[in-house]
Amino acid sequence: MNDKLNNIIQKQQKQIEEPHKKEEDVVQLVGFIIGQEEYAVPILSIQEIIKPIEYTRVPSVPDYILGVFNLRGSVIPLIDLRRKFKMESVRQSEDTRYIVMKGRDNTAGFVIDRLTEAIRIKSGKIGPPPETIHADKGMVYGIGMRDDNILTILKVEALLKRDF
Amino acid sequence: MEDIQEILEDFLVEAFELIEQLDQNLVELESNPDDLELLNSIFRVAHTIKGSSSFLNFDVLTGLTHHMEDVLNKARRGELKLTPDVMDVVLESIDLMKALLHAIRDNGNDTSIGIDITDICRRLDAISTGDVIPESTSKSVEEAMSPTLEEEADYSQLSDQEVEDEIERLLKMRKEEDKKRKESSGTASSAPAKNESEVPVVQKSAPTKREDLSSAAATPVKKETASAMEQTIRVEVKRLDHLMNLIGELVLGKNRLLKIYDDVEERYEGEKFLEELNQVVSSISLVTTDLQIAVMKTRMLPIAKVFNKFPRMVRDLSRELGKQIELEISGEETELDKSIVEEIGDPLVHIIRNSCDHGVETMEARRAKGKPETGLIQLKAYNEGNNIVIEITDDGNGLDPDILRSKAIEKGMITEREADGMSDKEAYALIFKPALSTAKVVTNVSGRGVGMDVVKTNIEKLNGIIDVDSELGQGTVIRLKIPLTLAIIQALLVGAQEEYYAIPLASVLETVRIPLDEIYTIEGKNVLRLRDEVLSLVRLSDIFGVKQVYENSEHAYVVVIGLAEAKLGVIVDTLVGQEEIVIKSLGDYLQGIEGIAGATIRGDGRVTLIIDVAALMTLAKGISVDIRAAAEATVKVKSAPSDYIVLAVDDSAMDRNIMKKSMEPIGVKVLEASNGQEALNMLKSAEHSIDAVLIDIEMPRMDGYTLATEIRKYSKYKNLPLIAVTSRTSKSDRLRGVESGMSEYITKPYSPEYLESVVRKNIKL
Repeated sequence: MNDKLNNIIQKQQKQIEEPHKKEEDVVQLVGFIIGQEEYAVPILSIQEIIKPIEYTRVPSVPDYILGVFNLRGSVIPLIDLRRKFKMESVRQSEDTRYIVMKGRDNTAGFVIDRLTEAIRIKSGKIGPPPETIHADKGMVYGIGMRDDNILTILKVEALLKRDF
Repeated sequence: MEDIQEILEDFLVEAFELIEQLDQNLVELESNPDDLELLNSIFRVAHTIKGSSSFLNFDVLTGLTHHMEDVLNKARRGELKLTPDVMDVVLESIDLMKALLHAIRDNGNDTSIGIDITDICRRLDAISTGDVIPESTSKSVEEAMSPTLEEEADYSQLSDQEVEDEIERLLKMRKEEDKKRKESSGTASSAPAKNESEVPVVQKSAPTKREDLSSAAATPVKKETASAMEQTIRVEVKRLDHLMNLIGELVLGKNRLLKIYDDVEERYEGEKFLEELNQVVSSISLVTTDLQIAVMKTRMLPIAKVFNKFPRMVRDLSRELGKQIELEISGEETELDKSIVEEIGDPLVHIIRNSCDHGVETMEARRAKGKPETGLIQLKAYNEGNNIVIEITDDGNGLDPDILRSKAIEKGMITEREADGMSDKEAYALIFKPALSTAKVVTNVSGRGVGMDVVKTNIEKLNGIIDVDSELGQGTVIRLKIPLTLAIIQALLVGAQEEYYAIPLASVLETVRIPLDEIYTIEGKNVLRLRDEVLSLVRLSDIFGVKQVYENSEHAYVVVIGLAEAKLGVIVDTLVGQEEIVIKSLGDYLQGIEGIAGATIRGDGRVTLIIDVAALMTLAKGISVDIRAAAEATVKVKSAPSDYIVLAVDDSAMDRNIMKKSMEPIGVKVLEASNGQEALNMLKSAEHSIDAVLIDIEMPRMDGYTLATEIRKYSKYKNLPLIAVTSRTSKSDRLRGVESGMSEYITKPYSPEYLESVVRKNIKL
């Protein structure tokens, strides 16, 4: 009886500890596609994801800033990640979404081609960005290795930093 | 501890309020030295501050106010005459008191900034003890203060005896000086002379006249005593700001509601519930407006807060400059938003200093011109619509447009040709250019050419307008027109091609519609002759790089904007109307974009950018597009009939074929669409420039009426011929066709020739 009880208690203890341990080195991300590649950002930096709505062009800004849109009373800039990554821009499709990301002092919407999924990845599986990418204004946080593909994890603070 | 903190805060708030009133009163007192009421209230201020500061253990402040109190008490009891010299010391001590209060506010004590009050206390004592010294010397004691003022010796280290000696010494010196002066020149400046004549009189009459004083006190111009109890509570500005933000949201909601109501009204015309909805909407919009005004009012301060410091300033300046200047203030009860009151002070200081220094002439000059010796500066504030106007008038020398022109040429700011073409009014505006000063000498007061530039920058920041008017030899009027509030503004909404922008209405002077051939090009700049002025013109779409989607018409709408003293004509494609807008920031990411002051959310939920008029004027300078040439270049190059495109919209392929056949004789190109949605997409994509649309009414997905309504929503298709081709023949159908924006209504069956002629007529072939 005592053994049994001990066993159960030990098991419970294990269960309590284990997910805790897991959470510590698992990063939760949201994946999306731009062009041919899959990118991801930490789920906690995402304020919301919305379907495309109308935006207003803002003059004399770089071409990757499409303009501003009205998010329930707040005026928020809209950035085309395709153009930001020097890809050709395409027409918006049914799958196009705006990901609204929130940084320390900035909020902005980013146009992406389509969402993929919520991703949990062990932090051990995230490698540093390859040397060649460093030139790219440090927008890449790291490369996530997955079973079937690799994932470019973006640095939200860098995306939200004004660079013009 | 917290209690003390609270008491301290209350003390500071109260003290600053008292002091503000004090300055005003003291200057008034100087011109009305017998006004007992004024004296009493001034005495009370010193007394109150002394009491509170001793309670709070501010020894320095207590010491200072104690000495002031002595002097004022004597003056109050008629034992001391307040001459300008006495006044200088009293005013100086008040300045010190202010400095001490600031120190207390910033540091929590009055010792850390090391203000030394011993010197001023001694002088105050000298004044107050002046009476007990026998009659003959009392005059000299008062005069003795001036040297003390000038020499600034360190008296704090002297013993009492030494001080006495020092005073004796100075007295002797002064007496000798006086004697010499009297002997050498009778034309010495009149201020001391006046002093001498005044003082003895008072000395004799003071004791006997005391009774008369109190009765005479009733006659001089008296301000209503501020002692009337007001019921107020103090509220943190932050809370009011928050309230203002919430009201802003409400105003946006109201705009949205009005817009929706308009749409609903159109669709459900005549329905009963509309009446009810109408009532609700209008009562909400009414209440919102009232609420907004009410909250705005809580943030309003009387402009007296700024005006109050000017009597003192003008007094000091006129003594410094050796002129006699009177300042007349009116409309000081006019109210302005707190944030604006804070900004308006500096520009006014500069303008008034200028008026004193350059405007009003010296007494001799005035006499020579047959003007009264005392110059007059009037400071006037009044409301005008949603703006407040502040007028500064002086009866001085006035501006000389020719001197201004030649100065500006000398400094290379304008070319001679430009100068020749300048109207006097434009020449007056030159005074706002940095580094331009007409003063022959740089004085302490002005002449460096900086001040008016500050005025311009600050007024621009407030979206205000400056207007200068002057008559040589007669005086100058400077008029500042400033919007009442900054958070919610009236704006003129304009369209540039397919984009919309909001221009703060305060900066809009007028709008005009002109034919394009009235635009002239001078040295690569577009100008328009508007009445007697030449106005430079710029297209809004050129400034903001708006995509050209539809061709220019033969007319242009010009919005004349004015800021500070500059004017500019902005060509827009449409004038949408006036709307109340709430200014929202674009956030950190898009902060500081040239030409854009912020954004607002319109009734339809879209974001509209607000134009920064000051930046727009700067941007306009860098643009040189020949508007007329550009307009002519974009005129359609369609000449042959085959350049024209007609869109046939019908769900039946056969009907489309008939349409096609009928148009073969004209030779135009025909595109096809099988329903309204498809046709609308084709128009939206703007792949083809379509010249006319034939529309069937009965169609799947989107019918003809809806299509026509949708097309008309695009301003570039406002004049596109839409020809309804339908078997619906009833009168109501025709009417609906007209309502939805059809230009022609053809009923089936029709003869091909008839359709052909209608199309020809509409595309003008």
